Parts: sequence; structure tokens; C-alpha cells
Amino acid sequence: MPSSASASVSVSASASASASSTTTTASGAHSDLLTRLTSSEFEVQLKALRELKNRIIGNRTKKLSFIKLGLVPPVAAILESKAQAQVQAQAQAQAQARHDSNLLVQSAAALGSFACGFDAGVQAVLDAGVFPNLFLLLSHPDDKVVDAGARSLRMIYQSKLAPKCDFLQEKNMEFLLSLLNSENENVTGLGASIIIHSCESTAEQKALCHAGVVKKLISLLKGSLSQRDNSLESLATVMKNNVEAVSEFVGSESGRALSSVIGLTKDRYPRTRLLASMCLIVIRNTSACYLQDIGIKTKLVHLLLELHDDPGQVGDEAPFAFSSLISEKPDLQKLAFEANAIDKLYNHLQKSQLHPKRFQGILLALADLCSKLESCRSRFLSLQALNLVSDALTHDSSEVRTAACMCLRCVSRSIKNLCAGNFLNEMIAPPLVQLLDDPSTSVQVAAISVIGNIAVDFTMRRSLFVQCGDNVCKEGIFMEFTASSLASVICDPEPFVQEQALALIRNLVDGCIKSVELVFTEDGMILDAVRRQLQNASTDEIWIQGMYVLSNVASGTEFHKEAVMHQLIPQEDNGTQSFILKFLQSNESQLRTAAVWAIVNLTFPSCPGSFSRLVKLHSAGIVSQIKSMVNDPCPDVKLRVRTALGQFTTFGDCST
Amino acid sequence: MSLFWIVVHQLAEIEAMAASKKVITREEWEKKLKDVKIKKEDMNKLVMNFLVTEGYVDAAEKFRKESGTEPDIDLATITDRMAVKKAVQCGNVEDAIEKVNDLNPEILDTNPQLFFHLQQQRLIELIRNGKVEEALEFAQEELAPRGEENQSFLEELERTVALLAFEDVSNCPVGELLDISQRLKTASEVNAAILTSQSHEKDPKLPSLLKMLIWAQNQLDEKAAYPRINDLSTAMLEDPTV
Repeated sequence: MPSSASASVSVSASASASASSTTTTASGAHSDLLTRLTSSEFEVQLKALRELKNRIIGNRTKKLSFIKLGLVPPVAAILESKAQAQVQAQAQAQAQARHDSNLLVQSAAALGSFACGFDAGVQAVLDAGVFPNLFLLLSHPDDKVVDAGARSLRMIYQSKLAPKCDFLQEKNMEFLLSLLNSENENVTGLGASIIIHSCESTAEQKALCHAGVVKKLISLLKGSLSQRDNSLESLATVMKNNVEAVSEFVGSESGRALSSVIGLTKDRYPRTRLLASMCLIVIRNTSACYLQDIGIKTKLVHLLLELHDDPGQVGDEAPFAFSSLISEKPDLQKLAFEANAIDKLYNHLQKSQLHPKRFQGILLALADLCSKLESCRSRFLSLQALNLVSDALTHDSSEVRTAACMCLRCVSRSIKNLCAGNFLNEMIAPPLVQLLDDPSTSVQVAAISVIGNIAVDFTMRRSLFVQCGDNVCKEGIFMEFTASSLASVICDPEPFVQEQALALIRNLVDGCIKSVELVFTEDGMILDAVRRQLQNASTDEIWIQGMYVLSNVASGTEFHKEAVMHQLIPQEDNGTQSFILKFLQSNESQLRTAAVWAIVNLTFPSCPGSFSRLVKLHSAGIVSQIKSMVNDPCPDVKLRVRTALGQFTTFGDCST
Repeated sequence: MSLFWIVVHQLAEIEAMAASKKVITREEWEKKLKDVKIKKEDMNKLVMNFLVTEGYVDAAEKFRKESGTEPDIDLATITDRMAVKKAVQCGNVEDAIEKVNDLNPEILDTNPQLFFHLQQQRLIELIRNGKVEEALEFAQEELAPRGEENQSFLEELERTVALLAFEDVSNCPVGELLDISQRLKTASEVNAAILTSQSHEKDPKLPSLLKMLIWAQNQLDEKAAYPRINDLSTAMLEDPTV
């Protein structure tokens, strides 16, 4: 509807006038806004609030700079004074009440905007202590105030920083139900957000079910667009890994609730389709007895692949939902493969300027696809997707780097390609090794596990040709490392990193003499680091990996075996028990296996020094310990104990 | 959409009957059409949906009184929505932004693309009014940070700022940005976002129903000759040309 000429002239004049006023304030007078917010005059305050709100909505940079200027506390103060006033004074003059309402709406909207999608903003709002006051607005007589309060709270609840609501307390549960039963859409939406944010434990899920929340949420499925979406997401939260809630939902309204969610996977809104499919995935993953027919499985695979095409938030979240659908499920991975999933995800990966979340999601989805099926890995490699993934190893976002490692780890489970040396090239190895110094622990762990995979020795008993190729591969990895860098990751403060680092070394030294020698460079500092972990660490996982390192090294030359002896039985007898005795007595059978294996390698009959080592082991009490294990409950341990005992007897009975 | 399914159903029937192209006379056709019962209330709802979605608030109000059809949205919200739309159409974008924020602050906070397009429109209006310095300052202060957050915004921003480089904007390669159609595009984007935020469909049902009619007729053309609707504005049945 084009306006008349005269109207457009007057309008554009006012537009330029206000634009110029904006640009002048933008260049400096923020303190002016602060003064006006704390003014005692209603009009001045209201105008300042509106201006502040309109400046920050949609503008992250402004939000941050206003937070730094300390504008959140005065806004919170306005809201607080008016929210409290409303509680105290029953019969306010009408004009005053309208003024207060206006201030409440504007201040709540400004606070909500500070908190919208922006953790620094949420923190600033929470720090201003205004959170409980926002709840007061929900019982305000003016609907607009209720709306504004509910919206702002919803914004806060979308952040991880929001305080959790403890549903196990009766009054909180009552409050939540009152929200869900409200006529106001924003208020029911707030109820849903609180569930999505706060419900974590099974006890909380059960409490919600018992309070009738599932029934309420099902009734909201028939509500407006936003109520439907909120309800789907809350239902997924309440049902996740909770068999009881799933069966309540599936049985509700003689199956109609479930049918309506299935129906919503065909909704015209992508967001609704995504949330409906996530709800179905939760049901499937929680209770293996529902939604198992091939029709629904295929439908979900196709739907989620199609949702990847959405340019917005839905497309960013689709790969994560897809992962949860196929993860650990070869039948679904096969369906996805047949639906061309690898090619489709690869096409998305090729787009420039991917949002980091989407990038991460697609890499993880590819990781899940390639986790079990060789057909997926082959397709992945044939598309040259490896290049894109190796680029992702140096991405700015640590989540993307971790996801790239996970993807590589799953693809490198392809023995065929591993043997062909397809993973060890200058595109992959150097950045991977650099990631061991990454500031993020999860990146370090993920990187170590890929390197562990690449270094693993599948091919020992195969042809010499392959073996050589494999050793080249391992040395390639060592070239990228220095002994000191490896020693430092072994002693990383994170136990998980320690474990993965030891697993890597274990794989590196498994096999031929040449690779064992690698741990003796730089005065054997790696071996010392391993011993320190065996003495000081306190988890079975670390001990198992460390013991296997020693066991593998003990398969080497006399020199190597003596070095291991030195670690096992310290020269100076200071009365401390050797850690290997403790391990042999452990309840963890894998640890016992690793420990016995080391002894087997140390006492191999054809080696010249074996006898003297046996004598030392005997006086350390290790031989008698092994003898006592002849009927170990674990077959693996028993087998190796018997091998060891067989070797002992070739030297005659040295125990006498 | 029941009307659509009736058409599809008939189509399937005809398909089953006709191995070769069948001729259906006007008489037969009209008899078939008569057999289809469409509730008056459904038709009214369709009309009301159109009026409400397109924002004809006065017409909707009148229609409600005359036909007793209740709109599926509070008519007062239409007035607000139309005020926003009109402000953009008149080039008064800052006013439109303030109005949207009063209506629901979430809309622009959670819809970066729409927010960018509104700010871009604001820049276009500054350039249109020859306020070169203000335009540059505005682009720097408000738009450049958005471009940093999103590459595709940056490209659009570059295109917009390019307007400044030309003396005669009517003849420049990005001149269409100054077109009234650009305002209308932005206005309809805001309109759709407001409707979505009110849990309302962003497009009226009627046009898509007409699209389906055309689609169904095209499908049918391959199977049969029948009285066709060629002029949608009169909906007259025209005899088949055999």
C-alpha cells in the first residue's frame, strides 16, 4: 500500500531526524542514558528504557557494551521497585498503575533482550538479582506485564546459566503446574522452558509424571503452534531414558498421543517436524519395543536428512538429532547409508562458512555413520571427505576440532585403509599431534584416540610388506612427537588424557624392536613417566594402559627387559611394595592380565637374562603371587598364569 | 484443504475410468460438482483467514458481523501488525522497528536475518534521502557488526553501500534496492515474522488452494477434456474444446 506523496515526505523527514539523533548518542553519551534511567521522572525513565531496549534488540555488540557500562543494574532496579510496589499497594491510582505497568513492560523487555541468546547477558541479569522479581510479574493484573515477564524469564531459561528449578519440592511443582495450566501462551511456554532446562534426573522425570505433567503436555499438543513445539520438546525431556514415562505417553488416549506426534513429522513447519522426530527418537531409544517397524525408521532417516537443508537453527540442530537416531545402531546406519546419507552430509560439509554448531553436528553424524559399517567408511573415503575433515582439525571452535577427531577416529577403524597408510599423511598427522597441546581437554582426548587408532598394529602377523608400511606409519607419528611432549601428555592433569596417552604409547610400542626403541630416546623419560603414573595414579584404566606399555616394552631386547625390571623392582629396598604386586591382586581382571603378561615377557626361557630376572621376581614375592593365581576366575588371566608357570619350571624350581 | 482432496479424488476416479482421453460434458461435470458438498462455514473461514492474514482489519470486522465467522486471531493485533507493515512501506523503518519491539521483543532478537534486512532498509532510506555521512556512520555502527557475524549479510551490505558510489542511482547495477519493491519485500518479511510469532500461519490458505486447483486441472488435462476454469477471477466453466 503505497502512501501518498505528502505522507512519505513528512515520514522520511522524521526518520532522518531520529537517525541523526541515534548517531550522535552512539558516539558517546552513554552516561546520559545511565542518568536518565535513574531519573525520578516517569517520562524520562520510560523513554530511556525504550531507547535502551530498541538499541540492544538484535544487536549483540550493543548488548555487550551496555553490560560493560553497567546499564543492567539500573534497569533491574526499576523493575524491582515497581514489581514490589504492585504487591504492596492494592488500590493505586489508575494513572500511577498505568505508569508502573509501562515501566515494568519496558524494563522486563530490556532485561529479556540482554539475556537473549547471550550468556554474558544472562549472567549480568542474574547478577543484578532481578530473577525472583521477574516471577512476581507473572501474577500482575496487566496481561502485558505478564507477557513481558514470562518472555524475559523464558530467555533466561534458554541459557545453561539459569538456576535449576527443583521439582522434588512440592511448592515448585505446584508452581510449575500453575504455569502449564495458564491461559496465557507465554506463561505455558515458560513452564515448558523450565522443564526443558531443569529436568535432568530420573527422580525429577518421575515426579513430573506423577504430578500429571505428561497428560498436560499431551493436551498442549493440540494448542497453538508455539505450544505444540514447546510441548514436543518438554515431552522429549521428560521421556528421555525413562521407560515409565514413555509407556505412559504411548498408552495415552489409546495411542492417539503417539499418532499425533507421528503426524507432526509431516507438519509444514520444519521446527515442528524436527521436534516431533526428536520426540520419536527419544521414545525409540528409551524403549526398544516401540517404533521398530521399518516404515517409521526409514521415514525418520529421510526426514532428518531433509531437515539438514534448512538454512537456520533447524538445520543446525538436525545433524545432532540424526546422530541420536543412528548412534550405536547398525540397522539404522545401514538405512541411512542406503538413503545416501554420506553423500548428503558431505555436500553440506562442502559449503563455505558453515555455522560452527552445524559443522560440529555434521562431523559427529559422519562419525556415527562410520562407526561400525565399512561400507560407510569406504564411501566417505571415496568422496575425498578426509580433506575437509582434516581442515576442520584447525578450526577456531574447539567443538569442531573435537568432532573432526571423532570423525577421523571412526573412519580410521577401516582396517583396509589403515593398512594402506591412508590416514598418515602430512594433511592429518601434524595437525593431530598439535592438538595434543590444545587448550581444551576434550580436544586432547579426542586427538589421542585418533592417533591411537592410526598407530594400532593390526598387521603384525601379516605379510612383511604390510609390517614395514605400518612401522613407517608409527615412526611417522613419533617424528611428529618428541619424547618430552609424549611424557608431558602422560602426566597431564586430566586422568582421561593420561589414559589415552598411555594407550597411544602402548600401541606405538606394540610389535617390533624398532618401535620399542622409540620410548628409550631422551634418557627414557617416557618410561619414567609411565612408572610415575603406575605408582601415583589411582584408576584401573590408567594402570591397565600403563602396564601394557611395560608389557610391550618387555617383549623387546635384553636391554629393554632390564629397563622394565628396573621399573618394576626398584634398586633401593625402602620397604614399599612393588606396584605390580598390587596389580596382580587387583579385582580388575584386565589389570591382572596385563601384569601377568609383563612377567611372561620378562621370563621368556630362551633369553639369557631370564633366569636372573626370575630370581629377582621371586625375592620380590611376585613368583609366589603368580603361583597363587593358578585358578584365577578370569580365563584370560588363568591362561597367562599357566604360561608363566610353565616358563618358571624350565629353570627348575627356583622357589626352593 | 478438504476441497483439494475432493478434486484429487475425482481425478483418481477419472483416471481409473479413462484409458484414452475422455470427454466430459458440461452437464456431467456440473452434476459431479453438485454432488460435492462444501459447508458454507468452511468457505467463510477461508475468506476470514485471507482477510486476517492479509491484514484487512475493517473488512474482517464487517465480515465477522455479517457472516458470524469468528477470526482465529485477535483483530486488535492486526492493527498493530498493519501499522508496522505500513511504516516499512513508507520508508519509516526506525519507527517500524520500535513498533515490532513493542509488539514482541523476541521477534527481532531471535531473527537475525529479518533484523538485518530492516537495518539494511534503514540504510537504503538514508541513501535515498542523500544523507551520505549518516548512511556511512550507520553502516559502520549498526550493520558492519552484523556482517562480521554472518558472511551472507556482509555481501548484502556491500551491495547496499555500493549505492553510494553512483551519482545516478537509477542506472546503477544495484539500483533495484531503491525500488519500492524492496520496501514491499522487507514489509512482507516483517509481516510474516509477526504472524509466526503469534502462532498464525504466515500465508493465507486461499492462494495455495488456487494453486492446487491449477495443478489439478493440469493433471486432468492429460486424461480428459472437461469444462475448465480458465479465468480465476470469474471462475467461469468453459466448455471443453474437442
